[in-house]
Amino acid sequence: MKQHWISLALAGLIAAGASWADSGTLIRATPLKQKPLLDAATVSELPANSRLNIVARKGAWMQVKTASGQSGWVKLLNVRTGSAGSGGGGGLGTLGKVITTGSSGTTVTTGVKGLSAEQIENAKPNFAELDKLKQYQVSSGSATSSARQAGLGAQSVPYVAYTRGSASGSNTDATSPMNRRP
Amino acid sequence: MKQNLISLALATLLVAPLTHALDLGKLVDELNKNPDLVNAVSGAVQNTIDANRTIGPKEEAAIGDGLAANLLGAAPLVNDAALQRYVNQVGAWVASRSEAPNLSWRFGVIDSPNVNGFATPGGTILITRGLYQKLNDEAELAGVLAHEISHVLLHHHIRAIQAGKGREAMGNALQGFASYKQGDTARQIGANALSGMSEVFVRGLDKDDEYEADIRGMALAARAGYNPYALVSVLQALSAINPADGTVQLMFSTHPAPNDRLNKIDQVVGDKLERYATGAEETQRFYRLK
Repeated sequence: MKQHWISLALAGLIAAGASWADSGTLIRATPLKQKPLLDAATVSELPANSRLNIVARKGAWMQVKTASGQSGWVKLLNVRTGSAGSGGGGGLGTLGKVITTGSSGTTVTTGVKGLSAEQIENAKPNFAELDKLKQYQVSSGSATSSARQAGLGAQSVPYVAYTRGSASGSNTDATSPMNRRP
Repeated sequence: MKQNLISLALATLLVAPLTHALDLGKLVDELNKNPDLVNAVSGAVQNTIDANRTIGPKEEAAIGDGLAANLLGAAPLVNDAALQRYVNQVGAWVASRSEAPNLSWRFGVIDSPNVNGFATPGGTILITRGLYQKLNDEAELAGVLAHEISHVLLHHHIRAIQAGKGREAMGNALQGFASYKQGDTARQIGANALSGMSEVFVRGLDKDDEYEADIRGMALAARAGYNPYALVSVLQALSAINPADGTVQLMFSTHPAPNDRLNKIDQVVGDKLERYATGAEETQRFYRLK
């Protein structure tokens, strides 16, 4: 009996570990690479909507394990997290949502703690705290030498152009075969 | 020249009651060319003019300070000097790689379990403890700060206030500027005007503003030597939070869904920044907050 409870608990733990942040879904068909490199050998071709366990991240790549136990690397941008890879973090609809918690059945309105809309609307300016913030300000010279010590080096990188006005079409179908990318 | 502009402005004011819309537009144009001129003009239309014109850098800084004071009134700084100094070192370094390295850039972590970040005009940026604790390395912090820095560089909040509900409050604040004493102008704006303008943090920006800040922020983080795709990891982590969780409600209600932001990055940036993906991720100085 005790044995039973332990396996049950372990199963629960494993299930919890595999959910949310640690799993993802492919938004398009993608090759699973042996290494985080485009010209690395392909382990297999993964179809769109494959569920993956996330192992690690490096550069533009994510190390994953497939449901069939294969390991390898896919591009980060081919993966979406959240429930079933769908919409994920919702929008306005979630405001003031009421949820019922576990066995107690207590109803609580979420969003009551922390920095809520009401708290910002009712806030009184705290200039003493602003003065404190100013004391932590550092010069760009100091920040540059600190960054150098941390091993960071400046790069010359042009901005990627973004055309405003295309936002309404945010429901771009990333799974469309026209939009495939390795 | 200045004299000339003043007469022009005054002349326009005089005809304003007759042909108001068009001439007011012209006047606003003149004022945009020379923001200082505003102080020389007075009258009933002042408020409308103020709410429409280009805001000068000093006014932006004063409004930004006032808005930051208001946010700090809602949640004070995390009482951890080492954390605050670290965030300033990273933020100032990223900002130094931007087109406005000499703005008064300041960064702070505020004591709230909510997951959110706020940029105020003029360069003061606040992120919550809840967001900081989601970050795995310095590249992710740089990605978040570069997003907020981009909002400042692109004047997104000032423009949103001008176009939205805070417009009248900003008109009031700006009208006061002429009479403010030298020194700490932010304190003289007044709690009512600050409260009105703070509405922008509750209503949020345009979706385009958010996408633009993500995309420009990625290049900015790369300029500072970080892996620009660290922002993708942050957005994937945010996407994994249950939207019903109270700590993300304000952020989710004021931003496009994380997956929409990822789709936009996928579509616009894609692999364009991959040559910089070998940039730094973990650093020894990364400050872990218990």
